Amino acid sequence: MTDSKQQLSMKDRARSLVGNQTSLLIIVMIVLAGIFTAFSNGTFLSTGVFSTILTDWGALILLAVGQTLVVISGGIDLSVGSTVSLSTVVAGYVLVKVMHLNSTLTGSAAWGPLAIAALVAVLTGLVVGAINAVLINVLKIVPFIATLSTFGAAAGFAIIISGGMPLQGPTDFTLINPIRIPGIDVQTCDTGLLSPMVILMMIVITGVGLFLHKARFGLYTYAIGSNAFAARAAGINVTRHTAKIYLVSGALSGLAGFYAYVRLGGGSPSSGAGMELYAIAATVIGGASLMGGIGRMWGTALGTLILFTVQSGLLMTGVSPDWKQIVVAILIAAAVAVQTLQKKNGAR
Amino acid sequence: MAGEVIYEVRNVSKHYGPVVALDGASFKLHAGEVVGLVGDNGAGKSTLVKVLSGAHDADGGELFLDGKEVRWTEPRQALDAGIETLYQESGLAPHLTVSQNVFLGREKFVKGIFGKLGFLARKQMESEAHRDLEAVGIAVPSSNRSVAQLSGGQRQAVAIGRAVSWAKRVIILDEPTNHLGARQAGEVLHIVKAAKAKGLGVIFISHTLPHVLEVTDRVIVLRLGKIVKDAPTNLFDGDTLVAMITGTITELPSEKKS
Ligand SMILES: Nc1ncnc2c1ncn2[C@@H]1O[C@H](COP(=O)(O)OP(=O)(O)OP(=O)(O)O)[C@@H](O)[C@H]1O
Ligand SMILES: [Mg+2]
Repeated sequence: MTDSKQQLSMKDRARSLVGNQTSLLIIVMIVLAGIFTAFSNGTFLSTGVFSTILTDWGALILLAVGQTLVVISGGIDLSVGSTVSLSTVVAGYVLVKVMHLNSTLTGSAAWGPLAIAALVAVLTGLVVGAINAVLINVLKIVPFIATLSTFGAAAGFAIIISGGMPLQGPTDFTLINPIRIPGIDVQTCDTGLLSPMVILMMIVITGVGLFLHKARFGLYTYAIGSNAFAARAAGINVTRHTAKIYLVSGALSGLAGFYAYVRLGGGSPSSGAGMELYAIAATVIGGASLMGGIGRMWGTALGTLILFTVQSGLLMTGVSPDWKQIVVAILIAAAVAVQTLQKKNGAR
Repeated sequence: MAGEVIYEVRNVSKHYGPVVALDGASFKLHAGEVVGLVGDNGAGKSTLVKVLSGAHDADGGELFLDGKEVRWTEPRQALDAGIETLYQESGLAPHLTVSQNVFLGREKFVKGIFGKLGFLARKQMESEAHRDLEAVGIAVPSSNRSVAQLSGGQRQAVAIGRAVSWAKRVIILDEPTNHLGARQAGEVLHIVKAAKAKGLGVIFISHTLPHVLEVTDRVIVLRLGKIVKDAPTNLFDGDTLVAMITGTITELPSEKKS
């Protein structure tokens, strides 16, 4: 009916928001790395600092993955950081107070209890996700307020359950340490990126990314964020799908809580504090729109990488880490400003 | 020439808070029939559409499909029963491509285990969407283009094409000629006639009265949420239809004579 000569060319594709955003992110990465390398006399990227930060902050990747789904669907999940704290504490509580295990149990002997910790942490995250889903879908509270309440409640319960102190329990640090490859010296080659937990996170990000971009789960997520009325009118059960998204975000936060448990050898009530800011930052820097309908998993991966780069860069260049939050704040503002500009220029 | 009653509405009401949008509306739609639904802005036409499509739950009244009472709580149920709807406000997701919109809610999956996990057969849906839209007389630019990049008329065309290509029993078109140029509007009327010829029941809503007079078999006039007239189209002309809509007359001249 409306015939048109317009054809989708490669140029159109390259001009699309995703194309713009990705190339921009890579440029930002290179520029940041360049600055840090210059100011750290070349030590940046040549030492294990980056992998140390990855180890410290690995949980963030999982939160950012979940946040990406939520943001694309047009929502927001502020509860993720507190959920990390709560789930790591509940896992610690079960191992230490219920099973009466302590930190003398290490190495592979700790694997059994750690499996229980993983299960408990993920279940805890699912509970928070379910509460978010009920608040949003049944009580019709907007996601910002709903997850703000669970953010507060989860943080409170984390302190109450732990008594405000870390619950030290069994762990196996080889799970977060670089895998030792025979014949390769850890000092000269940074294998920190290859700890079992990091590999697990890479699998999760790839898996969720595939479901987001190639499967019906992702299609419905975009559809709801793009036009919830149209999604429902097309026969999508919007309530059920939204619930699934918050459950996934909760479960990933729980998994991040398990990661925090392994890394600290116990459940600390402050281990997730402030992480929601960085999870949302990674997502938004990665190109997702808080208006919904827009975002990419590899954008988020790059956004997370930029945050890691900033943190390790500040560390290497001797700048006080107190500047980190400020730099992140600037990055968020810049990312959103770029999105707005791109929209104005008609790029999508 | 109209066949059996497909869809029947009995005494349907709908309030939005204090606003009474529909007040005891009843009518029947037959197979192979085009019913025009007219009325002023705010008369309740789109509200009736949403009740018929399952987007809104009515406060009272009953719906019958093929003589059996039905109750929709989700649009999915009406879609599965063969009722397709073009909504007045955008029923498309702008960030999705044309083919994703056409197949939304009815995706095709790849074969095997990945298909069971929900992995989509994107290429297949793209070519089928293109083919299906062309079959109803709609040529859209590449079906892997995002809807936000289409013109208003192109979007409307995609939405109409989607509704027409999936409809099995009933097709509800809420102001389908909106955003369309004269030629494209003419093509929509052609599509409506083709749907009717296939034996579908069509509900056609428009403020463009010549279109209503041209394409419909029967006209239902809504005023302030009430059906004030339900009569064969040939009893109306442009003037009586306007007068009926605005309420300056309540009976057709032909009725007075008899
Ligand atoms: N979501 C809503 N919330 C509150 N009131 C509504 C809503 N939708 C419609 N209304 C009201 O219900 C009445 C009927 O509206 P409706 O959209 O059905 O009219 P319409 O006949 O389709 O008008 P138009 O020709 O302008 O499309 C109006 O008074 C309108 O203000
Ligand atoms: Mg209307």
